[in-house]
Amino acid sequence: MVAAMEEDEKKQQAEVMVTPGEVLGRVSDVKPGRGAYAAVHNDTVYASLTGFCRTMPPSPDSSDQRPTVEVTGHKAHGPVPQPGSLVIARITKVMAKTASADIMCVGPKSVREKFTGIIRQQDVRATEIDKVDMHLSFRPGDIVKALVLSLGDSRAYFLSTAKNELGVVSAESIAGATMVPVSWTEMQCPLTGQIENRKVAKVAS
Amino acid sequence: MAGTGGTAPATYSPSPTTHKNKTSLFQQDWVRPDGRGFHQCRPAFFRTGAVNAASGSAYAEFGNTKVIVSVFGPRESKKAMMYSDIGRLNCNVSYTTFASPVRGQGSDHKEYTAMLHKALEGAIILESFPKTTVDVFALVLESGGSDLPVVISCASLALADAGIMMYDLVASVSVSCLSKNLVIDPVFEEENSQDGSLMITCMPSRYEITQLTVTGEWSTPKINEGMQLCLDACAKLAKIMRSCLKEAASDSQE
Repeated sequence: MVAAMEEDEKKQQAEVMVTPGEVLGRVSDVKPGRGAYAAVHNDTVYASLTGFCRTMPPSPDSSDQRPTVEVTGHKAHGPVPQPGSLVIARITKVMAKTASADIMCVGPKSVREKFTGIIRQQDVRATEIDKVDMHLSFRPGDIVKALVLSLGDSRAYFLSTAKNELGVVSAESIAGATMVPVSWTEMQCPLTGQIENRKVAKVAS
Repeated sequence: MAGTGGTAPATYSPSPTTHKNKTSLFQQDWVRPDGRGFHQCRPAFFRTGAVNAASGSAYAEFGNTKVIVSVFGPRESKKAMMYSDIGRLNCNVSYTTFASPVRGQGSDHKEYTAMLHKALEGAIILESFPKTTVDVFALVLESGGSDLPVVISCASLALADAGIMMYDLVASVSVSCLSKNLVIDPVFEEENSQDGSLMITCMPSRYEITQLTVTGEWSTPKINEGMQLCLDACAKLAKIMRSCLKEAASDSQE
């Protein structure tokens, strides 16, 4: 049993392909990471995805000195918005106290099918949150960078743009040209010179 | 008969010879149409990645039973659904119009759908995709017997191909009782003339059963024998499924 375990560990260093339900180790020896889970009834760690199995050494200052075993899916399904992830969304509807948006990208990956998000008045910016005018912050069609606050309700995820680097990234002016940001509240149309109000994201230069 | 006239038939009673046909089929020496042994399954063929549009898909061919399953998701649940902490599984099993020997209307099998749902929901880690739905659509292209077990095994391969987190792969085999014989992986003909059937869906690596369906008349020792047959066959089927997944994954790596 011990000899087989050592052999397994060597194999894991070489990245074995595993399928869901394959045994990766015992709970006493390894900790389940992403793509693996621990079965309580028999103290075994099984894989839950198809992919390569990797063993990460434990960090030296943690009390739990078991290595973490994780399975990186060779084919991950489309990303799903999780609380705390940065998303790119397109505004679809602007109302008095909320704005609806279609989430198109989660982190660097684009989703297969869009998810619905909502930005509430109190989540648009960090200061003077009760004096926010939604129509001076967003317009339908704007591309915004937002943070997922929570899973929200059955209809939409709750998004927030209350940081300097969050907000409108790209917008079209009334004339039809892509606008240039002027300040954190204004964007200018290059064709007509008109200034329009938006909650602009501070893009690091 | 109509030409003779005169004597009108009083009552009709079936001639005693009509019963013989039925019993002769169930002799002890029933020979399977494809020449297999009673405890021999059909050779299984699996291939993943059959449907490009879907998140994951699989095609399975067991003799004359051909099934294709596509998995979409996790994607947004319908707005009308209530909020849920865990993911939802939505299944659908449908037959093509050309699936059965007699061309019929492509139908939606509600009972197979419910059974597929019960078989799969125990194996998927629903907590890994809260608020979203995973859709599993199974299409039976040709029905050559033992359809539901093939659909279930193929669906679990498609879910693994889609990258949905699962506790284990799900393998399913059914056994038919023909008078005194237990016949594994029955063909269409055998299913039509069976006395009873036993279908087991299990997670082979964890040795846990997710679904057990028994129809007809079974004595306890027969059930035990049938269950043991099925579990052994499921373990072998799982090996084939795993090798198919690994092959597909290493192919895509290159």
